[in-house]
Amino acid sequence: MRKYPYYVEPYEETERPRKFLEAFAAILKHSNYGFVLDTYTRTSTKCARCAGICQVFDQSGDPRDVPCYRSELLFRVYRRYFTLGGMVRSRLHNGFMLTDDYIDEMAEAVYRCTACRRCKFACPMGVDHGLMTHLARWILAEIGVVPKALVVATREQLQGKTGNTSAIPVVALKDTCEFLEEELIENYNLPAKFPMDVEGAEHVFFPAVSDYLLEPDTLMGNAAVMHLTGGSWTIGTGYYDGINYGLFYSDALLCRIVSKEAAELKRLKAKKILIGECGHASRSAKAFIPTFCGGKNAPPVINIMEYSHKALLDGRLKVKAGAISERVTYHDPCNIARSKWIINQPREILEAICKDFVDMVPSGQMNICCGGGGGTVSIDEIRAFRTGIGGRKKAEQLKATGAKYIVAPCANCKKQLREVCEDNGLHDMEVVGLHDLVLKALDLEAYGITPVDKTGKEGEE
Amino acid sequence: MEQWLEWARGPAFKFAFVLMVLGLIRHLVLTVAGIVQALYRAGDKKIPYKMVFHSTLLWLFPFKKLNNRPWYSIASVVFHVGLILTPIFLLPHIELWKRGLGISWPSIPHLLADILTLITIAAAIGLLAGRLGNRESRRISRAQDILLPVIIAIPFVTGFLAMHSVWDPTAYNAVMFIHVMGANVIFALIPFTKLGHIVLLPTTQLVSEVGWHFPAESGRDVTIALKKENVPI
Ligand code: HEM
Ligand code: SF4
Ligand code: SF4
Repeated sequence: MRKYPYYVEPYEETERPRKFLEAFAAILKHSNYGFVLDTYTRTSTKCARCAGICQVFDQSGDPRDVPCYRSELLFRVYRRYFTLGGMVRSRLHNGFMLTDDYIDEMAEAVYRCTACRRCKFACPMGVDHGLMTHLARWILAEIGVVPKALVVATREQLQGKTGNTSAIPVVALKDTCEFLEEELIENYNLPAKFPMDVEGAEHVFFPAVSDYLLEPDTLMGNAAVMHLTGGSWTIGTGYYDGINYGLFYSDALLCRIVSKEAAELKRLKAKKILIGECGHASRSAKAFIPTFCGGKNAPPVINIMEYSHKALLDGRLKVKAGAISERVTYHDPCNIARSKWIINQPREILEAICKDFVDMVPSGQMNICCGGGGGTVSIDEIRAFRTGIGGRKKAEQLKATGAKYIVAPCANCKKQLREVCEDNGLHDMEVVGLHDLVLKALDLEAYGITPVDKTGKEGEE
Repeated sequence: MEQWLEWARGPAFKFAFVLMVLGLIRHLVLTVAGIVQALYRAGDKKIPYKMVFHSTLLWLFPFKKLNNRPWYSIASVVFHVGLILTPIFLLPHIELWKRGLGISWPSIPHLLADILTLITIAAAIGLLAGRLGNRESRRISRAQDILLPVIIAIPFVTGFLAMHSVWDPTAYNAVMFIHVMGANVIFALIPFTKLGHIVLLPTTQLVSEVGWHFPAESGRDVTIALKKENVPI
């Protein structure tokens, strides 16, 4: 069997085409993809408008990266095996047959696409290649073809002792939070807390759990804002991970993971799900908690940036105008920008605290993906592809801004952009979260707090 | 030849036209049924209808969407304008309808019809050039993508020739036969090719949006169907 650019755990490799078709059939029967495929296979016009829009094709120039070419791989299987016309035609002459090679081509193609959905806006026929990549990855995962990096994390989250993707035990979580609380006192004189297991709190907080390992400033910023604005929130020690790789390869797992969030909310008798700075964590909760956990009765989901933005507007969050003097730019995570959910909120916060905020072109709903979307950022073995091809265009965009700080409110975008900067010679740029900068710009005096005298000490660590 | 032309205008036309209408109705019914069923099964039935409606309009009248492959897009818009207006508002066509079904509507002047016909032909050539001259679209094109603009141009070319040359009656009838049969072939192809977009296009944006709304039990049901309930991840 062909080796993929990404590692796959050993699996039963016999009769893959049959198993692929069985999985495809089961998914068509029990989910909603059939009518979408019907429409796309009837309308797609092969005009290549989507090609120039895709950041991967733009840099690779490789025909298999043309979005409509990749989706056609799936369309062809659908037409041949699941439509009357296709079945009749295959009787009449020896047409297309699903083979192992074909499956391999698809398996490679759907992990070059980051499912960022930018190309959807170019297609006159409304074809959503993000949805097609999403579906193809699920079918492939059911026969065992799925990047090991994604499976290992999900396995720990759903079956492991720690119940989260970074395998952080509760003791370590508590230690980290205590340490961050001490840091907040020491550096900002801020008695902010990370409240644990508070029953009846308004919000239960789910950041990308990796933030507890990698993003202390973002978390301190989150806690500081919640503290100063009198927000009612808690971290549940039963479940505290916002990450959801189900979104990237399996609706079945997507469902099981969001259900853990809903269950923790219920256990704590809380009202809202508060997602930290993470694009896919936000989208998987916002879009799929209603899907899998009760429809209209599902608990509301908000992102911490929405919370802070609202607090800024109604005056509960007080910041120093122009506190950040270096040039700042903002990277829109595809998962929250493409639907127009969160685009202006963080920009308004940044404009309130930055002297020199510049936007990238294009940005907002039509932003260019960091190149690590759709879970590909977790696949370390494809880093050269991610930063050299997938993220190349982003690197050019970043360079053109000349910014010192790139604000990327997403665990995945942050990791990817740091690697993009490193591999593309952008060594002066620093990738940070939104709340990292908010923390620096808090107007503590307005809250009656004497800031720690930092003279003699460097402002930055 | 005379009889052939009568056959093309009569039974063949009726067959092709009815086939088209029934095929398009089938497309539309199946698509709407698909949307309704998906929404019925969806765990989350909330659809941003306003946004969907807006993007649908944006593509039905794509004036803001011409910047991507601009020449090709302009050719496409011109092609469609000529394609839809000319046959419907041409006087001889209206007279046929009048004779056949007793209905009629205003026509466009002959000169305008001629101009529209010529730019439609030019636009069809433009579309073909844009498709074959662009590396990516050439590579992904299927036979129908290349043949359709050619086939669609046939009635326009023959219609123009028939109106503007001095022919002996046999030759005239032969040209008209090609003209009518060309149109019949197009009608018949509509339900079986991407030309189905004539009725499907207004639904595609909604289809893409509803497509993300999965049934609440879909994951579990698929897992059970594949007998994987007890298989660890
Ligand atoms: C009724 C309204 C119609 C609308 C809104 C419509 C819309 C569209 C759109 C959005 C495209 C894709 C964009 C492009 O390729 O430029 C397209 C392509 C096309 N349409 Fe239509 N269409 C309509 C009617 C028709 C009819 C009546 C025909 C011919 C019988 C037709 C023939 C074609 C062809 C051949 C293409 C492919 C052009 C190419 O890329 O080679 N369309 N149409
Ligand atoms: S979803 Fe994004 S990465 Fe995938 S084909 Fe479209 S633009 Fe390219
Ligand atoms: S823009 Fe749409 S129809 Fe055109 S090639 Fe891309 S997916 Fe196909």
